[in-house]
Amino acid sequence: MREGRSILARSVMGLMVSLWIAGSAMAQTPYQDLQYPKLNDIRVPEVEQVTLSNGMKLFVLEDHELPLIHLSARIRVGSIDESPEKVGLASLTGTVMRTGGTHSRTGEEIDEELERIAASVETGIGLNSGSASMSVLTKDLGTGLAILADILMNPAFPEEMIQLGKLRQRSAISRRNDSVNRLASREFGKLIYGSDSPYARSSEYATIDSITREDLISFHQRFFYPNNMMLAVWGDFQTPDMIQKIEEAFQGWEKRELQVSLPPKVNYEFRKTVNLIQKDDVNQTNIYMGHIGGLRNDPDYFALVLMNRILGSGFTSRLFKEVRSRQGLAYSVFGYYSANFNHEGIFYIGCQTKSETTVQAIRALTAEVEKMAASEVSDDELELARESYLNAFVFNFDSKGEIVNRLMTYAYFGYPLDFLEKAKEKIEKVTKSDILRVVRKHLHPDQMQILAVGRSQDFDEPLSVLGPVNQMDITIPEP
Amino acid sequence: MGWVMRIKAIRWLGTAFWMSITVALILPVGAQSLTDFEKRVHEFTLDNGLKFLVLERHEAPVVSFHTYADVGSVDEVKGITGMAHVFEHMAFKGSKTVGTLDYEGEVQGLERVDEAFLALKKERSQGNGADPQRLVELQQRLEEAQEKASQFMVPDEFEEAFIRAGSVGLNASTSSDATRYVVNLPSNKVELWMALESDRFLNPVLREFYKEKDVVKEERRMRTENRPRGRLMEEFLAVAFKAHPYGEPTIGHMSDVETMTRSEARAFFQKYYVPSNFTVAIVGDVHLEEIRSLAETYFGRLSGAPKPDLVETVEPPQSGQRRVVVEDPSQPWVVMGYHTPDINHADNAALEAMSDILGTGRTSRLYKSLVKEKKIAVNASAFQGFPGSKYPGLFVFFATPARGHTTQECEEAVSAEIERLKTERVSPQDLEKFKTRSRASVVRALASNRGLARQLTFYEVVTGDWRNLFKQLDEFDRVTDQDIQRVAREYFTSKNSVVGVIETRQSDR
Repeated sequence: MREGRSILARSVMGLMVSLWIAGSAMAQTPYQDLQYPKLNDIRVPEVEQVTLSNGMKLFVLEDHELPLIHLSARIRVGSIDESPEKVGLASLTGTVMRTGGTHSRTGEEIDEELERIAASVETGIGLNSGSASMSVLTKDLGTGLAILADILMNPAFPEEMIQLGKLRQRSAISRRNDSVNRLASREFGKLIYGSDSPYARSSEYATIDSITREDLISFHQRFFYPNNMMLAVWGDFQTPDMIQKIEEAFQGWEKRELQVSLPPKVNYEFRKTVNLIQKDDVNQTNIYMGHIGGLRNDPDYFALVLMNRILGSGFTSRLFKEVRSRQGLAYSVFGYYSANFNHEGIFYIGCQTKSETTVQAIRALTAEVEKMAASEVSDDELELARESYLNAFVFNFDSKGEIVNRLMTYAYFGYPLDFLEKAKEKIEKVTKSDILRVVRKHLHPDQMQILAVGRSQDFDEPLSVLGPVNQMDITIPEP
Repeated sequence: MGWVMRIKAIRWLGTAFWMSITVALILPVGAQSLTDFEKRVHEFTLDNGLKFLVLERHEAPVVSFHTYADVGSVDEVKGITGMAHVFEHMAFKGSKTVGTLDYEGEVQGLERVDEAFLALKKERSQGNGADPQRLVELQQRLEEAQEKASQFMVPDEFEEAFIRAGSVGLNASTSSDATRYVVNLPSNKVELWMALESDRFLNPVLREFYKEKDVVKEERRMRTENRPRGRLMEEFLAVAFKAHPYGEPTIGHMSDVETMTRSEARAFFQKYYVPSNFTVAIVGDVHLEEIRSLAETYFGRLSGAPKPDLVETVEPPQSGQRRVVVEDPSQPWVVMGYHTPDINHADNAALEAMSDILGTGRTSRLYKSLVKEKKIAVNASAFQGFPGSKYPGLFVFFATPARGHTTQECEEAVSAEIERLKTERVSPQDLEKFKTRSRASVVRALASNRGLARQLTFYEVVTGDWRNLFKQLDEFDRVTDQDIQRVAREYFTSKNSVVGVIETRQSDR
């Protein structure tokens, strides 16, 4: 017998138990009347935090369920650090560090060695963070760690692998307009941040062509040093032993004076624009609309988390219910106020709808944002958003890797390590008037930039009914 | 909800998870023995034939549920393609008690909607002879009937109940072989899942059927019609299978989705959604005995019926290579396929070994040849068992030509690697690497409740025993260099092949 069934069930517990033993089934309870037992405790393990003598920060968590060890690193570097003439340099550096091997091991030797033991070591450089990762069976820790450290400290950047990496990037440029959805989201980013912004710019044949081996070597030298880096490691090991092994693996790598540059500023001017990218070979329009978003350390963030759930994320959001379920206008519909750690995110809503309902869908999307700003959400909506957030909170702790990586991420961006726990407390207190206040402050339905990618001659109405149309050119510049 | 899984599903098969006793022997002290994992899986079958697999894992107070319905687009017939997938969408619309204010009133409203749709469909079927004025009237009548029926509705109650309870990843997917319903919940909400999941298959009400078909049509436009590779894959399968239903698109043909009716969907449900056609896996912080009693209480309500027959159509051998071209403004791409047996055939292990040696990782033969040495492709991969593995399907190769290179160059280079397997034996190192990697994959897979639930149901249904998730490795260990040479020679012939390419042309619409 489980605890906490309905009151009626409890009052006849004795009878139920005997029926039970006799083998009869107990009654089905309508789901609304179910009483749930208390959730078993969430055991949040203590993550060991250590700074090595070379300045490298470690976040360490044991997990002995399986004979595996995982590691992930963050290096303070990103494509925001490359010059506009050499867009693509950061990404290429991140790729060739791994594929090109080191001064003592060729890339091919590393591939063979890792695949022979079913392990992986990878590196990459994204927008505002470099990454490295390792996954090995416990017994292969020595091999994996040695390769990882060697790649981070001594990459060789052979010309041949640089050329291969460039070929891959040029191929990606040639294909960048083949996926309508990716092209729409990329171009929408340019509308918001500006096409030259480090947060939105694309690499071109010319920027790839101008990158030299020297550029990769100096980019690596500038950013890869131990006190500019954090490591999260979790799995089947003993903590003191692991710390010692990492210390040894990076021996001889000297700490330097830390150079931390501020993230590039976003200068945004609110405005309404209507933009078209003409695509003759499609029968469905990709719609993106919105404006600049916010930062995660804004005190309004917590109300915006619940606002997002009510407006646009998930099956129970207004956009999903109205645009998809009620009107059948789209399969994919979304809306989100994004708040990044260190630069403003984007507020965006959108969907994919057949050409013939393009303007209808834009109006339906706009109406939902207007409604959010017009009046308070209902009690039911707020409670559904809050309950679902709080009840699902346990999933933040269901894997060790998630726990230790989250801490490292907070540390990397200079956030308090208990940010998530504090967020939970704040979200418990958000009111309907808080939501209306933050919507009115942060969402501007009359100042949205609209982008439609589609076959305009098939639209239900010309886009110009929404305002003067700016036709965007997405031709890929030849080298 | 509503992922039509195809390439995704096969990726997962391609890197399928295997295990053997040898893994247990290499484990260091302190790590949990993997053979224990196998011992911890429990199974029971209800009187109505519904089977449950339960794995207790108390690491965190969460649980993953995976309902595998042994029905996919392969079970459809001409005229109702897309039905398995449409039904999957409808399974989120509630029941006689969930999603309605007054079922008795609503059911009459829904019948009016059906009548209005049938009248409209009949007029539309006149084609050019249809009366335009009448079409407008009938369309209006349909919308009015829908509006009336919707007044009895509690919209999205089913999803809301799960989401309020803290669910993550509530979703479903349909493939050629299967329809899967998944959700993860905090572990104190087990009974909620029991109540809602049994109810959705006990008393489903296909409300908002015609609106949801509009959603599915948008899904088709998104996945297939406006995605060059989606278009090519649809053409490719149609050419590869002229008799077997693996040739039909899971998302369905547009006109079939448009014309299908609620009564056709109900008939499909009644035939395929019977308890003996379901397998459920529950993995996480649960207790077997509690699961068993709740399952009897809630799922015991479903009445038993015979398991539907398997597809009897057999794809006849090809009499020569088949080719298909999609002309499109996008960049070139190539897919090559060879007809191969299903997952339960004795040659499957050797074919899996082939796909690993040819197509997995930076040391694979395709990557080395096409990407690194010849520099004609940016990626190249190989999979066994496409679009499904329950019936004989295809071994497929995908290659993305590098800028300035052609699909023909890629095709030739892939063929050269196949020829090499026919003439030269693979090295012991290549074979060993395949076996080691397979073992490690299973270890990694064990870390995730949802991954395990998915694997257990798949092996139980498609291979007849969930233990094959673990036993497969024994078969892999028996694969020899001769086996690989033999299957390469037997299946990888020009006559048995299908090739599909995207050729870059400017749009002429």
